[in-house]
Amino acid sequence: MKVKPVNHALAAEKFIEDVAHESFHDERLWDLRQKRDEQMHILPEWQELRTRASQIKEHTLANLPEYLEQFEANAKKNGIHVHWAADGAEHNRIVGEILEKHGAKSLIKSKSMVTEECQMREYLEPRGVTVTETDLGERIQQLDNQMPSHIVVPAVHKLIPDVAKIFAEHYHTDPNDNSAQSLAWQQRLAARPVILSADAGMTGGNFVVAETGSFVVCTNEGNADLSATVPGLHIATIGIERLVPRMADMGVFIRLLSRSALGSPITQYTTHFRGPQKGSEMHVVLVDNGRSHRLGMQDFWTSLKCIRCGACMNTCPVYRRSGGLSYGAVYSGPIGAIIDPTFNERKYSTLPFASTMNGSCTNVCPVKINIHEQLYKWRRVLAEHHELPFVKREIMHMAGKLMGQPKLYRAAINGTEVALSTMPRFVLYNWLNPWGKHRELPHPVKTTFNSWYKKNRLNIQKEREKA
Amino acid sequence: MSSRDAILARLRDNRPDPTAHPLPPVAKLGDMDAGKARFENSLQIIGGQVLERQENDTLATAIARTFPDSKVICSAVPDFEGTIRIEDLDSPQQAASVDVLVVRSPFGIAEMGSIYLSEAQLNSLNSAAHLTQHIVVILSPKNLTANMHTAYIDRPEFHTANYGVLMSGPSATADIQGVLVRGAQGVRTLSVWWED
Repeated sequence: MKVKPVNHALAAEKFIEDVAHESFHDERLWDLRQKRDEQMHILPEWQELRTRASQIKEHTLANLPEYLEQFEANAKKNGIHVHWAADGAEHNRIVGEILEKHGAKSLIKSKSMVTEECQMREYLEPRGVTVTETDLGERIQQLDNQMPSHIVVPAVHKLIPDVAKIFAEHYHTDPNDNSAQSLAWQQRLAARPVILSADAGMTGGNFVVAETGSFVVCTNEGNADLSATVPGLHIATIGIERLVPRMADMGVFIRLLSRSALGSPITQYTTHFRGPQKGSEMHVVLVDNGRSHRLGMQDFWTSLKCIRCGACMNTCPVYRRSGGLSYGAVYSGPIGAIIDPTFNERKYSTLPFASTMNGSCTNVCPVKINIHEQLYKWRRVLAEHHELPFVKREIMHMAGKLMGQPKLYRAAINGTEVALSTMPRFVLYNWLNPWGKHRELPHPVKTTFNSWYKKNRLNIQKEREKA
Repeated sequence: MSSRDAILARLRDNRPDPTAHPLPPVAKLGDMDAGKARFENSLQIIGGQVLERQENDTLATAIARTFPDSKVICSAVPDFEGTIRIEDLDSPQQAASVDVLVVRSPFGIAEMGSIYLSEAQLNSLNSAAHLTQHIVVILSPKNLTANMHTAYIDRPEFHTANYGVLMSGPSATADIQGVLVRGAQGVRTLSVWWED
């Protein structure tokens, strides 16, 4: 069966219809962007940090096999069990087997986008393992049966009454509770017994240090540390691109990560796991799931530098107004639009077009990924692979012909100006013109620049030449 | 071929030219002020507090005044009594009964207002740093390092500890409609007690 492309525009249209949610979403994320800017201005070395972060990541990716082997050797020395998963299915099987070996029936986990990628909950739950998200935003999304809509703030598209309703349904709290403080407290009360009785804990990993065989987890709520330290079994699921060579490199990344993400100087917890704690067992599952393939894509491999701060999402006018769920993918926003097509080119073929190409994403990226240029390159690739919708393809085709022939172009422009000023609206604004759906077409002008130039300048030039 | 070998082989085939991407040398950048005032300012920004010291105060009287409702005060330092010693907690889960944990940090980071704790300070009961309601951290101003670069380059703990957490204030969340809530899942407050 052929997969249908995500209809981002339609989903975004529905999100926009709800004015309260749409305007809060827009303002909240823009606020994060502004807080990020404040932090950037505090540090004169900001641009140097970005350059170094980018260089370290590019170096690591170019030497990834060696650094992965170095990490594996050191981690094993530290007493960590290291596993390798080629894809999501293998990852889930490995985690399932570890849990089974320990007779573990309940798993508490902190936020990890890789497990979302692998659809781990969907795999484990029918096998009798209860998976509880301990990150507040992720838990809200789990209870509401939705994907995270943002990689840092997964429930950012929801308002207090939405959360109150969900908690009332699952935690039997007051459905009219309108205080974020009291709702967060309800989550704390609900989560504690689950954490205290859990058989196993899972975290992701923001950074993996080859030199020490350790990994670093950056969070704010304390839930990742609880998940890792309370049960006697800690499993960490980590994408293979997360490596850095040396512990001394971490300064660069920790100084950039939370400042870029939330505009806070550092996450409340920056935790370094180098081996199992006393009386406990530690497993690291290194997940490929398409990453090694992406490394070979000349135009797109630098997207693997991403440290998942979400700054590109917070600044993107399209993301802010369309909401993360409209992307229909684990990764949304600009970074999602350039990595999602590597997972499934057809399904996510519409996402690189969900951009104004303003370049803001590239400007804020702490590891200098040329996001908007990759968006443009994806459009070319998708057009070549015929993944464009019919109307877009035909219009582009016609536009291409027109632009290639100056005479035809000028005639068409003159014709268009006549059309704009004389044709009735229904002829100009219809399904053949998606651009005109949310905007007015430009006002017709009396003369084009070309005809004005011919009349006013060309003659003067000729006269000068004569004189 | 195992998945491990298949992944590594594919990475070797696909990677960009390693010689085109050299590793930059390690650098110490930014403000090198490792002073107490800078640390206190950063601590306040991230929601932590300095435990106020009144005349003739001891740590015990300051704790009693700051956390009047606390019943279980757990000590992880030899020179402070508390109501229970961390050695007497038998399992990670038992730390949930603690109201206030008193622990000494080997160093703090002035740039961030962060303090460091590892299994060495927690008597290997790492959960205590998070399950407890409030944490009081004894820190010496002599043990401040300027910023994240100096911390990672100069402090040996990052190479030796199995569990090492930089705690930057209390646990926090803004996941519900962007409202900042302190004390999300871990400690509800973090206080620093300056050691002379």
